[in-house]
Amino acid sequence: MRPLGAGGRAHAVRPYNAGRPWPRRSYNGVVSTPLALYVHIPFCETKCPYCDFNTYAAIEPLMPAYVGALTHEIAAWGAWLGRPPLASVFFGGGTPSYLPAPHLAKLTEAIRAAFEWPDAIETTAEANPGDCTPEQLRAMRAAGFDRLSVGVQSFDDGELRLLGRRHSASDARAAVRGARAAGFANLSIDLMLGLPGQPLDAWARSIDEAAALDVDHVSVYALTLEGGTPMEADVARGTLPEPDADLAADMYLLAQERLGAAGFEQYEISNWAKPDMQSRHNLAYWEGRPYLGVGPGAHSHLLGDALGPHGVRFANLRSPRTYIERVSAWEPAGVVSASALASAGAVETADALSEATAAGETMMMGLRLNEGVSDAAFRDRFGAGIAERFPGPVAECLSLRLLEWSGGRLRLTEPGRLLGNEAFGRFVAAASEASSGAGRA
Amino acid sequence: MDPAFIRNYCIIAHIDHGKSTLADRMLEITGTVSAREMQEQLLDSMDLERERGITIKAQAVRMGYSHPGGSTYELNLIDTPGHVDFSYEVSRSLAACEGAVLVVDATQGIQAQTLANVYLAIEHDLTIIPVVNKIDLPAAEPERVIAELGTAFGYTPDEVLLVSAKNGTGVAELLEAIVERIPAPEAHRDRPLRALVFDSKYDSYKGVLAYVRVADGIVRGTERIRMMATDTQTDVLEVGVFKPAMVRVPSLEAGEVGYVATGLKSVGEVRVGDTITTARNGSSEPLPGYGGQKPMVFAGLYPAEGTEFHDLREALERLQMNDASLVYEPENSQALGPGFRCGFLGLLHMEIVQERLEREYDMDLVVTAPSVGYRVLMNDGTVRDISRPTDLPEGGTYDAIEEPWLDVTILTPSRFVGAMMELVNSRRGTFKRTEYLEAASAKPASGEGMPSSDPRVVLDVALPMAEVIVDFYDQVKTRSRGYASLDYSFGGYQVAPLVRLDILVNSVPVDELSLIMHRDRAQSQGRALVDQLRRLIPRHLFDVPIQAAIGSRVIARETIKALRKNVLAKCYGGDITRKRKLLEKQAEGKKRMKRIGSVEVPQEAFLAVLRMGKS
Ligand SMILES: Nc1nc2c(ncn2[C@@H]2O[C@H](COP(=O)(O)OP(=O)(O)OP(=O)(O)O)[C@@H](O)[C@H]2O)c(=O)[nH]1
Ligand code: SF4
Ligand SMILES: [Mg+2]
Repeated sequence: MRPLGAGGRAHAVRPYNAGRPWPRRSYNGVVSTPLALYVHIPFCETKCPYCDFNTYAAIEPLMPAYVGALTHEIAAWGAWLGRPPLASVFFGGGTPSYLPAPHLAKLTEAIRAAFEWPDAIETTAEANPGDCTPEQLRAMRAAGFDRLSVGVQSFDDGELRLLGRRHSASDARAAVRGARAAGFANLSIDLMLGLPGQPLDAWARSIDEAAALDVDHVSVYALTLEGGTPMEADVARGTLPEPDADLAADMYLLAQERLGAAGFEQYEISNWAKPDMQSRHNLAYWEGRPYLGVGPGAHSHLLGDALGPHGVRFANLRSPRTYIERVSAWEPAGVVSASALASAGAVETADALSEATAAGETMMMGLRLNEGVSDAAFRDRFGAGIAERFPGPVAECLSLRLLEWSGGRLRLTEPGRLLGNEAFGRFVAAASEASSGAGRA
Repeated sequence: MDPAFIRNYCIIAHIDHGKSTLADRMLEITGTVSAREMQEQLLDSMDLERERGITIKAQAVRMGYSHPGGSTYELNLIDTPGHVDFSYEVSRSLAACEGAVLVVDATQGIQAQTLANVYLAIEHDLTIIPVVNKIDLPAAEPERVIAELGTAFGYTPDEVLLVSAKNGTGVAELLEAIVERIPAPEAHRDRPLRALVFDSKYDSYKGVLAYVRVADGIVRGTERIRMMATDTQTDVLEVGVFKPAMVRVPSLEAGEVGYVATGLKSVGEVRVGDTITTARNGSSEPLPGYGGQKPMVFAGLYPAEGTEFHDLREALERLQMNDASLVYEPENSQALGPGFRCGFLGLLHMEIVQERLEREYDMDLVVTAPSVGYRVLMNDGTVRDISRPTDLPEGGTYDAIEEPWLDVTILTPSRFVGAMMELVNSRRGTFKRTEYLEAASAKPASGEGMPSSDPRVVLDVALPMAEVIVDFYDQVKTRSRGYASLDYSFGGYQVAPLVRLDILVNSVPVDELSLIMHRDRAQSQGRALVDQLRRLIPRHLFDVPIQAAIGSRVIARETIKALRKNVLAKCYGGDITRKRKLLEKQAEGKKRMKRIGSVEVPQEAFLAVLRMGKS
């Protein structure tokens, strides 16, 4: 295993640009750093009680029209942006594996037609174990996917029922085996900790099983009770016990220990990978690289000549029906500018990032990575080092031992990893003060 | 106007018995307000009054009235508030009148403030016209209320008028009775000017408006006047009357009620209770005025995030011009910075001051726990008044602490007498006497039928003020299912075994959380408070001990364990903005907290003391 940190970037196995400055070739005004492409699939067989994602059960009749609209959106973006190169493709949702294979194939075909899609890039689909039949898996491989992110969540059938999942632990094991057999060389699974009433030993069994499984990547998420979800209501009503935050902390430490012992290296707060198997797509978010999201509720961040020094963040409207209507009628034209983006396709909100906001977000996202944020890269982008730009937050976090300097990078300390918000919050608040101060002046 | 054709009266009643609604009908019948301008409880002009449906500030209004006998009269009506906190407003208004319309709700009968206000009116030698209101309601029992008025005050049935302020029944007759029964003011217009300031209000164009009742002489809109107590001179900007909008008149003459626009910018110069006279050839003998009302409840008001100290000072100054009962002085708190120690007439008054500051003056406030004023008898024989627990001198330097007591009157259907006594006993109260409102023939015991059909009992008790200000009123209401009512007045000081309970957060004593309380309560209150704070103070990156102590003796302790986990789950589909906003909001919340040492304490923690004792 290669050590993390110490000069090189351990996850740079398939560098799309090997540390060189991003090419500034302009595609119709958009700086063509290869784009991370996110494709939203808003269908689920049933809706899990803790889930607040933009996804729906029982709208399957919309699928053909939806795939048509999405194909159109992909084609339109590709044409408008001048067929830029892609850095990664990620089908999320919702449940991409729930979409019949011909639909999936139609979508990847559309992407291939609209964008420059290098062979070697990571192409992920999220999958539910229950959907992972040999036929579906084979079809997904054929459609161009080479990485599967399987929503296992738990290896305890009781917990899976509590989570409202439609699969069993043995379905999950079978899905992993089947995916390998179908030729997925890059496999990831998701697990959840801190469930209502979940004891530490139950978590230990799940994490041990995950560690022993033949996968390349594990994501571990603490359950968050999102407002408005049935599970949150059950906890508020008292019919479910409130998740215990301290116990969740213990579970997290246990995950670190067991996954580490099994050869998984933690590279982000919630993510572990076998050497060189980090999620390239998610790294784009953490490292502040541009991404394009298609589908309802999808978010994007594009950089470009007419998009201000820190680019524009924009998001599509959330309703699949309205999305289909809006996007099908979209014929983009002209230069890609901030105002053009605000009325593009199904875009609902668009904001040009101020320098202060961009700096705050760079810290908020970058500090999630174990390697932290490079002071030199930060200085390149913002014209000042991190400690110069954020003197208060840096000093405080260092003295609270939330952060530490290591090899020119500012990163979370080991105990600070569970307290990330305490650090991120300080940067974001300082940035927001700076930008509102600038607004007033 | 010839004084013989002037009538000055106020409307008094228990809270919600319909004073303001009755005033509406009078404004309507006399044509003072056109049908188009009419709205319910028109005189309750403050937003807060309209929202809460109660009168907070007394309102004076002049009406022209044509009596069926053929003459035209000038009626000066003052609508008063009913809540016990504002009884001082009532008594000030009474001094401007010769008569009072006593309103009693036909469904409720005599209540505690009915009694209190009648006694006040009798003290002021006013002619009282008893009126039973709300006779339109199906539950109305006018006969019964007439009988009560007989037993309680000796009115004969033919003296009592029956009205519905809602639909106007009987209001014309009431106006006739006002002219016929209430005496015309005694007025000496040839004497030097003497006008009693019975209230004040601030107007941004005209400075302090003094609400006056002219006793002698005439005040003109061009006069140079002198405020006798403060010896301030000023040129009157204008004089006028409320109809109810301000209407300028050339002069106010003896016997009349109206306003004098003083142009003065500070209430210090126009004191309620002062006498206005002319600067030249004025009177040398002020009118009796009022004994200043002492505040009952004290609390610290501090600017919260977004509010500046000097803005708060200005707001308090302004508010005091409209609310002469509010007193304040600057104070400094370690945790909360510079602020003000304020004295209020009661908890409702405190709540209303806070709300008016927040709404009318856009203040963001932290309010500390309310406390009563104590008297400390020092070893050297001197007496110290203290209004905040941290002012309690070192142990050993004083002989005793005295706490204020209230004389409390509870009026209740007889079936709740036991419950009321139990409540009084649990609050260290003492019983003085009971009296039945009904004639002796009414059967004393009951329990059958509705509580309203029980004979009604007046319970006179005494209670430490500290036991009343927290939630005594709520408890009286709860334990009597809303049927009992309550009135109180100051009843002197009594020595008590009181101790100061201190709260330490991370070993730092927090002045704002200190409480003075009866020794026997300290243990349980200390524990409860520490427990509350443990819930309200967020976890920090280190353990935070919370202690309750008397002197150096810790009587309760809890530890807020260090925070172990605070991290956002995955950032789904690149929605970075949402995560950032979430963190920004958290940081906002933190900023609003107060720092004690290295601990961030939310404002609710300071209010926790307020809720102490509420079960
Ligand atoms: N049915 C009926 N309701 C009435 C009558 N008079 C007043 N009310 C209602 O009783 C409630 C209280 O009336 P207010 O006029 O605000 O009473 P108040 O005595 O001025 O109250 P405070 O100023 O708060 O002491 C309101 O909801 C009125 O609509 C009446 O004659 N009949
Ligand atoms: S399968 Fe995933 S996206 Fe669908 S409802 Fe469940 S948690 Fe949400
Ligand atoms: Mg009223």
